[in-house]
Amino acid sequence: MFMLFSASKKILGMNARNLTYIRPNNRKKAKRLADEKITSKKLLKKAGVPVPRLIAQISSRRTLENFDWTILPPSFVLKPNRGLGGDGIIVVYGRKKGSTDTWVRSNGKPITITDLKMHIGHILDGEFSLSGTPDFAFFEERLKLSKEFRPYAYRGIPDIRVIVYNKVPVMAMLRLPTKESDGKANLQQGGIGVGIDMARGITTTAVQGKSRIVEYVPDTRLLLSGIKIPYWDEILHLAIKSQIASGLGYLGADIAIDRDNGPVILELNARPGLSIQVANLAGLKRRLERVEGLKINTIARGIAVGKNLFGGEIEEELESVSGKSVIGPVEKVEIIGIANKKITTQAKIDTGAYSTSIDTELARELGFGPTIDSFAKIDLTEFGEVTEKGLGIGKKIEKKYGSRIPHLIETSVTWSSSGVTIRPIVKLTFVMDKKSITTKVNIVDRSDLKYNMIIGKRNLGKFLVDVSK
Amino acid sequence: MPELYYNPLINFLLMQHVDISTITLLLLFPVIVTVVVVLRQIVGIQAFGIYTPSIITLAFVFIGQQRWSDIKYAIMVYVTVLCVGMMMRYVLKKLRLLYLPRVAITLTVVSFSVLAILAFGGSMGRTGFASAPIFPILIIIMLVEKFVTVQIEKGSRTAIILAVETLFIALVGYTILSPTTIIGKTFISFTLIHTWVVLLIIPINLFIGKWTGLRLSEYLRFRDVIKKIQ
Repeated sequence: MFMLFSASKKILGMNARNLTYIRPNNRKKAKRLADEKITSKKLLKKAGVPVPRLIAQISSRRTLENFDWTILPPSFVLKPNRGLGGDGIIVVYGRKKGSTDTWVRSNGKPITITDLKMHIGHILDGEFSLSGTPDFAFFEERLKLSKEFRPYAYRGIPDIRVIVYNKVPVMAMLRLPTKESDGKANLQQGGIGVGIDMARGITTTAVQGKSRIVEYVPDTRLLLSGIKIPYWDEILHLAIKSQIASGLGYLGADIAIDRDNGPVILELNARPGLSIQVANLAGLKRRLERVEGLKINTIARGIAVGKNLFGGEIEEELESVSGKSVIGPVEKVEIIGIANKKITTQAKIDTGAYSTSIDTELARELGFGPTIDSFAKIDLTEFGEVTEKGLGIGKKIEKKYGSRIPHLIETSVTWSSSGVTIRPIVKLTFVMDKKSITTKVNIVDRSDLKYNMIIGKRNLGKFLVDVSK
Repeated sequence: MPELYYNPLINFLLMQHVDISTITLLLLFPVIVTVVVVLRQIVGIQAFGIYTPSIITLAFVFIGQQRWSDIKYAIMVYVTVLCVGMMMRYVLKKLRLLYLPRVAITLTVVSFSVLAILAFGGSMGRTGFASAPIFPILIIIMLVEKFVTVQIEKGSRTAIILAVETLFIALVGYTILSPTTIIGKTFISFTLIHTWVVLLIIPINLFIGKWTGLRLSEYLRFRDVIKKIQ
């Protein structure tokens, strides 16, 4: 019971959202603005926030009758100004071949000017707006699916919901349209919400619908975690900028990524839903409390605060789940050589290599000079031609010289793009990400390469490599 | 009739020829509304706003004034209204009518359906149903407007869930407040004696109005988050 009580201090419920965040922060005027798509579009555009381009607006029967249909591009979206939950929206993919008055809809069916006129008539009559109040219709540019999201989206366009409070982005999720949601990115209709680590813009956990935890894109083996959101900083920037422009103190900004133009603001929400907490498996209330009253002067500062306070959870999470630590493609390593000589260097993590190698020069500094020198003296020709079948050579060298070369453990015969090399192998210990590893490493000339150490698969068992780090 | 142990206010009203059932219903109404508020704000049952569940509860209490079992007629009317409302959505969808005419047509069909079940009840010898008071039944019929609105805005699924929740709230309210249940009977005589206690509703609502805790239903909704946080 006590535990439940403490959870309720971290999770944002409907009561707290309405009373503590929406009521005092979102004035009526600003709320209305967010509800009217054309007005908020114009306002955002004026503030320099990119939005899908408005092609035309139809506000009465008369403008509908006199409308010049030739101005419509081959692909566009028709929307009601005050539509709810994506109702009444028509998405057109292109003109029908050889026709000027017929287009093809997203579901593959044709649509003519007469059909469009009828649909706009229904919009004007308020068919799709709240309890039938008369409405406007408008045409806007159709966004194109960016290639990063192509495998994850079913039909429609995914978007990124960012909750912004006091100019700080506090929580975000990627919303994916699914078959179940009929191509809409709406969670209530069965879309998927994927939590995002604020610091790095990488997805974490996911929810489908209101509270079903999922791991994969439905019917596939595509993992929902670990998706890198492109333009992450720009997305946070836009979200904060739109908050400032809208006058809403607490808002959910929906941002889509267009294949050609990058991130654009799709919609602003004055009453963003609470399921984002399930997608992130994190509570919103504590986050909002931490941001409250902070003095944020610039957008850059807002982004930095959001990233610092609410990021870095993926790593901890992966580490706690797998017991492995997450490292990047290049890591700082401390090598302990002969007589406890310590050298710190940058090592390249190479999952394509089996074992770990260090550069000859580095090996000398570590005290393996005698090993290298005496190894170089061996006349390798006495073992005959080195062929791919000649794996036995290493053993022969060990047998003959092993006792005479200091610190030599083994020799390795390596075929690589630069030909066959026979390398001495020594034993040493290195410390990476606070983990100490004692292993065999081979010594090779890497003087023309950027890093003087590569760490191969054999020593990476305790780690997970995150290439974006 | 004035009773010695009634609150002086009640006795005064009775002496001015105010009907006892008028008094009890007026005193009960704020309590009904508060029950709805608690179920919505603290338990987290959504239902159709505050007005609809309150008025439906009142209609239920009114219909069940004589016999406790009369509630089944109220439920029958309620279910009929919903079924017809739902069916009419699909029938009228293709016609693409404006909102108000569409509701009017739906209401017409609902009225005839209620007449039909009244006739059916009568023919089965259920005279209690046939002679049920008409105003509460009309109130239940008006529910269809709310139902249609939600259907348009949020879809049939949500509308059905909200309708079931509304029915649940009304039944809870009925159990607590109907003069034909033991709880209800005790409660009503209590209010007739300690009338001013009803005013406690104001501080109760002041508290609920400032309460920002999680609703019970949200503990369920966020169970995975709670598990994760701990």
